Amino acid sequence: MTDTTHGMTLACRGVSFSYEEARAPIPALRDVGFELGAGRSLALLGASGSGKSTLLQVVKGLDAPEAGEVLLDGSGSADAGYAELRRQVGLVFQTPELQLFAASAREDVAFGPRRLGWPEADVSAAVDEALELVGLPPEQFGGRHPYALSGGEQRRLALAGVLAMRPRLLLLDEPFVSLDPATRRELSRILSRLRAGGVTLVLATHDVDLAWALCDELLVLDAGRVAAAGPWDVGEAGRELLAASRLREPFLVELWRRLGRDPATAPRTTAAAAEALR
Amino acid sequence: MTPPSARPSEPAAATVGGSAASGSEAPLLDVRDLRYRYPGAPVDALGGLDLTVTAGEFVAVVGANGSGKSTLARLLGGLERPAGASLAVACGCDLLSEEGRMAARREVGVLFQNPENQLVAECVEDDVAFGLENLGWAPEAIRARVDEMLERFWLTDLSRREPHLLSGGQKQRTALAGVLAVPRRVLVLDEPTAMLDPAGRAEVLDAVHGLRTGGLAVVYVTQEMDEVVGADRVVALEAGSVVYAGGVGGLFGDVALVRRLGLGLPAAGELALELAAAGRPLASLPLTPDELVTALEGAR
Repeated sequence: MTDTTHGMTLACRGVSFSYEEARAPIPALRDVGFELGAGRSLALLGASGSGKSTLLQVVKGLDAPEAGEVLLDGSGSADAGYAELRRQVGLVFQTPELQLFAASAREDVAFGPRRLGWPEADVSAAVDEALELVGLPPEQFGGRHPYALSGGEQRRLALAGVLAMRPRLLLLDEPFVSLDPATRRELSRILSRLRAGGVTLVLATHDVDLAWALCDELLVLDAGRVAAAGPWDVGEAGRELLAASRLREPFLVELWRRLGRDPATAPRTTAAAAEALR
Repeated sequence: MTPPSARPSEPAAATVGGSAASGSEAPLLDVRDLRYRYPGAPVDALGGLDLTVTAGEFVAVVGANGSGKSTLARLLGGLERPAGASLAVACGCDLLSEEGRMAARREVGVLFQNPENQLVAECVEDDVAFGLENLGWAPEAIRARVDEMLERFWLTDLSRREPHLLSGGQKQRTALAGVLAVPRRVLVLDEPTAMLDPAGRAEVLDAVHGLRTGGLAVVYVTQEMDEVVGADRVVALEAGSVVYAGGVGGLFGDVALVRRLGLGLPAAGELALELAAAGRPLASLPLTPDELVTALEGAR
């Protein structure tokens, strides 16, 4: 079975992409370049329509870049083994629960691994593991019809369908949208565990607080171009850059600054903040 | 899965209490013991819900996924037939009759949770114009109103774009512009900012609050606890029933209830709870960053 303990490295070099429309092509990505190390987590930020979803689809290989290339573990699309690397990239779409279709939770999660031609015993083990990982124990939830689950359970089931294929690079498109706060906290814990397990994560989101809690680095897109890439800049320049992209600084960074503390020391979690302020 | 159109339908004249029902004292929304059950479902999605909203009020509706918020939004807009109610009136229209529901669809602006279900036209500006065309507005008046809405929701550059080429946030702004283009007395908005960037969230929330001064009543469904803070009242649903209705501070002050409902506090409140657990309780529960900073500095 695929070794999932090592995350994949990701690099984009000069990636451009346009959508075709009758009148004229709409440029969505322009000369996008960045690198992400194995097991690192990246917050993909930017205003609505800045190209976040498009970039995830190009990295997954659903759309071919018209210029530039996507390197997975250093390999490009012309290299042998690229198709296998691409299979190890998991993409969780926006509102993925709309794509649940099977008659039971277990069958829905099994669809991907089966399509990869895995032996049935491996499929079964992967399904159990994935359901466990997202907090839907297979003995309790495996036989349930997906539509009989709550919205938050459906979101986690859809995530399990991607995790069952044991991705080494996991791309998530607005995974927290429309979830209630308790389910957000649960999903945040799941992603923290995946991160601790070594999976490389890319999280496209408008939620800068969850991005701050979960991600080592950030990539800010502005009209399809890279406006910033690398570690979070919590200084004045970083704050202005986020504001220019219709974003804001994370709550804990803002709080540290307003309390006269060094924003560079701002904690990543509420619990750590309470410990520091106690 | 696709809900029926929320667009205005043929005029109808089913009202409760005659045409004077829209007097300034009468609530714009008034439902008592409202019930709904999805076809084939074993239990009610809404069971005996009461809600009254008057002109100029902003009422937030919160609850876990599956608690009945979207069902309530659709019922208030006349888009579903209630299983029953002792009273169900929206803008003077009786939601218990087919004619009343058709009339309510003209009066109550509903924004669906998923904007994909709302966009029907070939391009952004046609979509924003759709409701006005159905109301028979003159072409020049439609043009002026559409241009105003496109500008207000930063869609002018995208006016000819096909909906399927829009981002999630652009789709949500298009749907909002279409709903707000039509003058209304009641708006029911189901997570209107879910797909928006932080600046877009603040702008939409400001715009909706601004409409209240014109007497608009707003029912605002949200999972963003920070957006609840400015509401006049908050209604919390659990398994299709109202378990809290009252001031914002009263809900967030009952932390056990908030946790049971799968909700949370605004970020400042969550940090205050962690601080109390770590041995530093604050004098009062802050709900905004300003209140938190004041409480922390005041205690020094």
